[in-house]
Amino acid sequence: MGDSNQMPFRPPQLKIKPRMIIILFLVVLAAAMGVSSLYMVDQTEEAVILRLGQFNRIASPGLHYKMPFGIEQNFNVPTQVIQNMSFGFRTEKSGVETIYSRNDYPEESVMLTGDLNIVDVEWIIQYRIEDPVAWLFNVENREKTIRDISQSTLNRLVGDRKIFDVIGKERVNIEARGQEQLNDVLKSYNLGIRVTTIKLRNIVPPIGAVQDSFEDVNKAQQDMNRLINEGKEAYNREIPKARGEADRIIQEAYGYQAERVNQAKGDVARFNSVYDEYRKSKDITRSRLYIEMIEEVFKGDSDTDLIDKNLDNFLPLKNLQSGGTR
Amino acid sequence: MNKKLTTIILTLIVLAVILIMMGPFYILEEGQQSVVIRFGKIVDSQQEAGLKFKMPFVDNVIKYSDKILAWDGEAQRIPTKENLFIWVDTTARWKISDPAKFYASVTSYERAYGRLDEVIDSSVRTIISKNFLREAVRNSNQINNIDDTQQAEVEGVEGEETMQQELRDLANFSESKVTYEEIKKGRLKLSDEMFDAAKKITPEYGIELIDIIIRQIRYSDDLTESVYNRMIKDRNQIAQAYRSFGEGKKAEWLGKLENEQKSVLSGAYKTSEEIKGKADAEATRIYAESYSKDRDFFEFWRSIESYKKTLPKFSKTLTTDLDYFKYLNEKSPR
Repeated sequence: MGDSNQMPFRPPQLKIKPRMIIILFLVVLAAAMGVSSLYMVDQTEEAVILRLGQFNRIASPGLHYKMPFGIEQNFNVPTQVIQNMSFGFRTEKSGVETIYSRNDYPEESVMLTGDLNIVDVEWIIQYRIEDPVAWLFNVENREKTIRDISQSTLNRLVGDRKIFDVIGKERVNIEARGQEQLNDVLKSYNLGIRVTTIKLRNIVPPIGAVQDSFEDVNKAQQDMNRLINEGKEAYNREIPKARGEADRIIQEAYGYQAERVNQAKGDVARFNSVYDEYRKSKDITRSRLYIEMIEEVFKGDSDTDLIDKNLDNFLPLKNLQSGGTR
Repeated sequence: MNKKLTTIILTLIVLAVILIMMGPFYILEEGQQSVVIRFGKIVDSQQEAGLKFKMPFVDNVIKYSDKILAWDGEAQRIPTKENLFIWVDTTARWKISDPAKFYASVTSYERAYGRLDEVIDSSVRTIISKNFLREAVRNSNQINNIDDTQQAEVEGVEGEETMQQELRDLANFSESKVTYEEIKKGRLKLSDEMFDAAKKITPEYGIELIDIIIRQIRYSDDLTESVYNRMIKDRNQIAQAYRSFGEGKKAEWLGKLENEQKSVLSGAYKTSEEIKGKADAEATRIYAESYSKDRDFFEFWRSIESYKKTLPKFSKTLTTDLDYFKYLNEKSPR
């Protein structure tokens, strides 16, 4: 094309022959035809072909031919790619260490729960284009439509549950229901996509004092367990000790019992033996026992006083003496 | 001669191309619809894709989208029936159903959005202010059906089923286990009502409304603050309940400790005294059985045995009166 444009600026002495113009025209025509009739479809894509604006066919990956000069148009649609959309946060740069944007998106993530509390929910959805024709020609603001419906679905599901259930055990249920309902609505628009995943990311109470108070409940639960364990610990420390002590007391009593009975048996055995002999010669034995007793009692003493029974005035003297020595 | 002919052919080709390009045809793509205007008057409208005809130079073709379009208004601050101010953010989908009417009544997208703003905003406002907040927030009554056993557990205390139960009761109590008021409509129903109100008006503009969806509901700022405070108070109260429960359980354990310690020790004392008593009785029986054979000898024997033990400790002053000394004064018995 460049050549023909420069024609008028050529020196006038060069003669323009009509034949040249025709040949040039045909060459340009052929080149334009070649360029405008070949197109490529990537492995991840499918191409929708319109002929004179009307849907004609779908082309698979590879190099293809179409009618030139805009008679046929191709639109490549990435039908094999799973697409991501995040709500309440943005990924700034994904990689080994994904960087998330510092900004919050409260207009997406703040929701009211069924018990009229406030919760902050972040989530992602993933979808794939299943019907490229529907995707291209049925809905105008596609991304925005997906975002809107995803938000409204999540809002509705969270609005039907208590804050604790949202944070806790209803999480999985919300994901499953969300996907189902989102797909239903998008299908009613004939958007040509299927949502394959909804994943709730962070579900937290509003940041600040509210979140602190939620954390304090967890701490309180820890405290509770600690206190109970302290009580248990004291119990476990003291009670086995007390049981041992009780055992000791009882064992001691048994010891006492054995001792007492054996002593009695011993005493009695001795008595019985002596008694048997005593019966044979009562007087002698009696005297012997008596004398033996006195002997034993007095043998160790050295300062025993012995007085005649007629010395009546001895006693006060004795008293004085012992009083003086003291 | 030859030169003249080629010039003519060339001119004809160029003319033909120009005619076709300017000329009686235009392409309507999938997802487009068109209105054909001739001297300011609508003469034709097309909704099917393909090659379409028009009068060259005279007709003006205006193409509109035939796809579903999105409408997104500003969030509105609306009081509910109980006079709580909330932000309601709605979004809608619509479509140009009658391009001729659309051209005649609004012509451009901007003006169409303006009309939709008016129609939808007013229907949203009407419906929200006629209903309680809970109707807009919740969609069903299933909130009361979700079994809400609390997740707090007493750790490391196996087999304490009664305690877990107690804790659960406590938690449910402190969660102020209320059955939430039944809602009659729910969010989807409200959206439908807004939709019903708005969709009656839009056909005037050649617009078909497809749906209205509540995207988000938020408390107004001052309301948010008070809700935060309520949430905090609520949590504090629950935290306190857990701590008190722990304190109570600890005291219970300590009491149990005291109780068991005392009862174990006193039980042991009792048993030991019983054993000792039995031992004493047994000993007494053994002594009595034997000693009762000869009372006189027993007394003598026992006294002698006793003297042996006790007398050595006394400081003694003896008189010769003692039987023991009877031989001191006499050589022969008396």
